[in-house]
Amino acid sequence: MKVEHFLEKNEVREITIFNQLVLNHGVLSYKDMLDHLAVSKASLDNDLESIAARMSDFDKQVYIQYDGQNIELIMGDHISLQHIYRLYLDQSIKIKIINYLFKHQKFSITQLTLKLAISESSLFRKIRDLNSHLKEFGIKIRNGQLHGEELQIRYFYFHFYSYIEDKTTLFTVHADSQMIQTMQSLENFLKVTILPENRERLSTWLFISKSRITIKNQKHKYLREKMKPYVKDPLYHKIQVMILRYFSRYSIEVDEGEAMLHFVFLLAFPILTEDDFHEYTLIRDRHAPVAALDMYIAETIINHFKFRKLPYMLEREIYYHLTHIHTQLYFFQGDIERFEYRYILAKEKQIVGDNLVAFAREIIGTSIKRFRIEAGDNNSLFKMGVFKYINLLLLLSFKMAKVLQIGIDLKMDELYKETLSELLILKMSPIQGIHIERYEPNKEYDLILTNDKTSDLSGYEGARVYVLSEVLSSFDLANIQRIIQELNT
Amino acid sequence: MKVVIIGASFAGIAAALEVRKHHTDANIVLLEKQATLAYIPNGLHLYWGNQIDDLNAARFITEEQLRQHTIEYYLGATVQNINTDQKIIAYDYLEQEELVAYDKLIIAAGSRQLSEKIDGSAQDSVLKYKRYGEAQAALSKVKESQHVTIIGGGQVGVEAADLLTKQQKKITLIESMDYVLFKYLDEDMIQPLEQKMIENGIDLRLGQTVSSIDMESNHNLTVRLGDDSVISDAVIMSVNVRPNLPFLDTRIKRHTDQTIAVDRYLRTSVEDVFAVGDCIQLSGPDEDMVYIPLINNAVRTGIVAAANLIEPVLEFKGSLRTIGTSIFGYYIASTGMTEAESLFTNHTIETHRQKVPLTSLPHSDTVILKWVYDATTHVLLGAQMISKANMLEKINTLALAIQTKQTLEDLQQTDYFFHPSYSQMMTTTNLVSWMGERVDKDES
Ligand SMILES: Cc1cc2nc3c(=O)[nH]c(=O)nc-3n(C[C@H](O)[C@H](O)[C@H](O)COP(=O)(O)OP(=O)(O)OC[C@H]3O[C@@H](n4cnc5c(N)ncnc54)[C@H](O)[C@@H]3O)c2cc1C
Repeated sequence: MKVEHFLEKNEVREITIFNQLVLNHGVLSYKDMLDHLAVSKASLDNDLESIAARMSDFDKQVYIQYDGQNIELIMGDHISLQHIYRLYLDQSIKIKIINYLFKHQKFSITQLTLKLAISESSLFRKIRDLNSHLKEFGIKIRNGQLHGEELQIRYFYFHFYSYIEDKTTLFTVHADSQMIQTMQSLENFLKVTILPENRERLSTWLFISKSRITIKNQKHKYLREKMKPYVKDPLYHKIQVMILRYFSRYSIEVDEGEAMLHFVFLLAFPILTEDDFHEYTLIRDRHAPVAALDMYIAETIINHFKFRKLPYMLEREIYYHLTHIHTQLYFFQGDIERFEYRYILAKEKQIVGDNLVAFAREIIGTSIKRFRIEAGDNNSLFKMGVFKYINLLLLLSFKMAKVLQIGIDLKMDELYKETLSELLILKMSPIQGIHIERYEPNKEYDLILTNDKTSDLSGYEGARVYVLSEVLSSFDLANIQRIIQELNT
Repeated sequence: MKVVIIGASFAGIAAALEVRKHHTDANIVLLEKQATLAYIPNGLHLYWGNQIDDLNAARFITEEQLRQHTIEYYLGATVQNINTDQKIIAYDYLEQEELVAYDKLIIAAGSRQLSEKIDGSAQDSVLKYKRYGEAQAALSKVKESQHVTIIGGGQVGVEAADLLTKQQKKITLIESMDYVLFKYLDEDMIQPLEQKMIENGIDLRLGQTVSSIDMESNHNLTVRLGDDSVISDAVIMSVNVRPNLPFLDTRIKRHTDQTIAVDRYLRTSVEDVFAVGDCIQLSGPDEDMVYIPLINNAVRTGIVAAANLIEPVLEFKGSLRTIGTSIFGYYIASTGMTEAESLFTNHTIETHRQKVPLTSLPHSDTVILKWVYDATTHVLLGAQMISKANMLEKINTLALAIQTKQTLEDLQQTDYFFHPSYSQMMTTTNLVSWMGERVDKDES
């Protein structure tokens, strides 16, 4: 599912206009915009008018100017694209439907048409449309209620309240002392620390869980099946004891399903600290699906990069992230692709190159196969999985990249030699992971750059040597970059 | 003034009698769904334990007593809905719908033993016996059964297991927590009891949750838990009780757990409407709101609501969840916070577990006592006891100590009698390190 699916077509187009402008330094010609959107002039004009009307909310902090030729975005320093997304999402009827469902658990058509001030037929259309996207979560709205596995329902709401709906709608409740106490109890029971950055995520989840707790006939069939390898898991056991005790203090009946939900959540998202998670990895069953896949994928990655071994702390970090990715893949269906995601991905692809992306695709293929899950073509969970793997691979390559020592050994008159060497150093300074200096004999280098075709190359003690064709030429620079990449892997 | 009370059990009757005390001229009406009055919920246990020889004798008050206090009561009257705008209550009585107006309303409709998670638990063949009619049915069903499965290892479940074992029944007891009586005792206190249960042949299934109960063609019942199942002649539900309030109007606010929200004076969100007993949460051992369905709480809340009818004068003091029972040859009592429960609070606690002789005689019985107290202030927060001798009354002393916020040091200064046949050099309800034998090691 995509964030766009909560909006109407023209709204998505308007957002795309903003995006295009941001990507193009704030200005784009009318014609380029037409080409990009592949729409008629009339509809672009409509969009621009509609944007102008909507942006009046921002009191001149944001507006789009069109001078007959160029379209330009003017945006105050304190406004970001996020604010603009928010503006669009805030008036989405579909979001209001989900919100209503969450708050009241159930609606009747008359209630909702009244509340949203829309016609019955348009309400039906919106629900049908929502359902077509909720399908990938395995849930659907029927008879005014959300149906499906409880895990999937809470997981969907978790995404919804984390990324789609304004968090502040839940926040007042979050801050209440009961929530703080619950979080404290959880820390006491599990003997873990919940860091401030993870608290928000956890409190969103707990809030959702609290509002779902009294729903009758919760379904846990799929979850129970998936949990079979985990019934003896020590963390699960602790959670189970905590849940039973917690709810025995109220007149609320719970079964194992409730404990299972929290177990999955705790491992699928960064809630525990890396240290607490590490403690858990020492006692978890290594043959259980997630742990086994973590190990397999970690090895695959290490082999791919031809690393001999990862430093201890880095290895822990990698396992921490892998468990999140794999727990999500193993237990959940569906995901929501946010606006940001595609732009980050596009940028990252430029940086990391196609190889890494292809490798990330390959690993997700392996994971899917090992978990024996059905891979629909347009599955957002898998797409986000690839995205997460890419980020993990990036993280790894940043952390593992050793600093290459490069020496410049130009053979020419001292005056030129000095200036040209300095210019070369300047030119290469943006390249990550290298240290470059003028060559000093008796020092060790990974790469020597020289212009001397005749000198004895063996004098550089096994360092790789590149002979510059033309100092400062782009041809040379490209070659040097290629060599640096080769030396890094 | 017309005071209508819904439910004539402990809470409702206590409220009615107390209203009469405060308002001699009030018109008091009790509406009770059941056909008979004031049955004691564990009457069946009294019967099984040969303490009464007729189930009907398990009554805590008579109709005559109500009449003496000029309390109007209707048995077999089921409230269908209440309208707090117009202050009118609709109820079914003798197959007619009746209306009654009120000036003050007290909701004392209590709780039921019911499960929404266990499929098939609502069928009649799955025994519950809080009410007289249910108890009669359970009595005859159990009589003809050999193998009885009990779902829930709380006080009711363990008592039933004990009593039925004495009748040579085969008992399977299922509890979802790792040990029985977990609300009242810490795991380190339960060992002797569980040992005894196993010696008595109880098939104890701990850490397992029942998912469904099916009736087989031969009238046996199959209880399913995880991948396992138990087949027996009868099944007793002794799971937590829950309020059942379909008649409430939406103006009366409820908590997430469906209990009625009340303030310290037991007033609901609607003026002139009060709620008491098993249908509300109370402030518990740590003064946070919890659900503690016990008779003592029902009675006390009934009394407090009655006192506050005209204006708020008396605050409810909260509950320490004090219990006492005798099971499998052990007397067991608990009050206040357990160590496990302290994890839900902000207290840093210390505990001390010790085995103490009860008298000064050579072969004195002993009691194992666990103290839970605040690590810095030494204020007593909770106490647990297990013994082969009947020391149950002592828990009330400790409950009072907790309620009045005594420290361990205060307790050493309490005045008590000494008689070698009945007491020790120091009273048992005193934590004195040199008196008994320490049986825990978790404190340096
Ligand atoms: C088997 C068993 C044994 C127990 N043993 C003990 C024990 O030894 N010690 C102890 O402290 N606690 C014990 N309890 C708990 C105890 O029963 C309750 O805490 C206590 O009964 C609560 O009293 P109450 O008046 O609030 O509610 P209840 O006793 O539940 O009474 C509520 C009354 O309201 C009536 N009512 C409900 N709905 C309506 C309606 N719509 N219209 C009219 N009337 C209605 C019901 O018929 C009922 O009579 C036991 C519970 C069970 C199930």
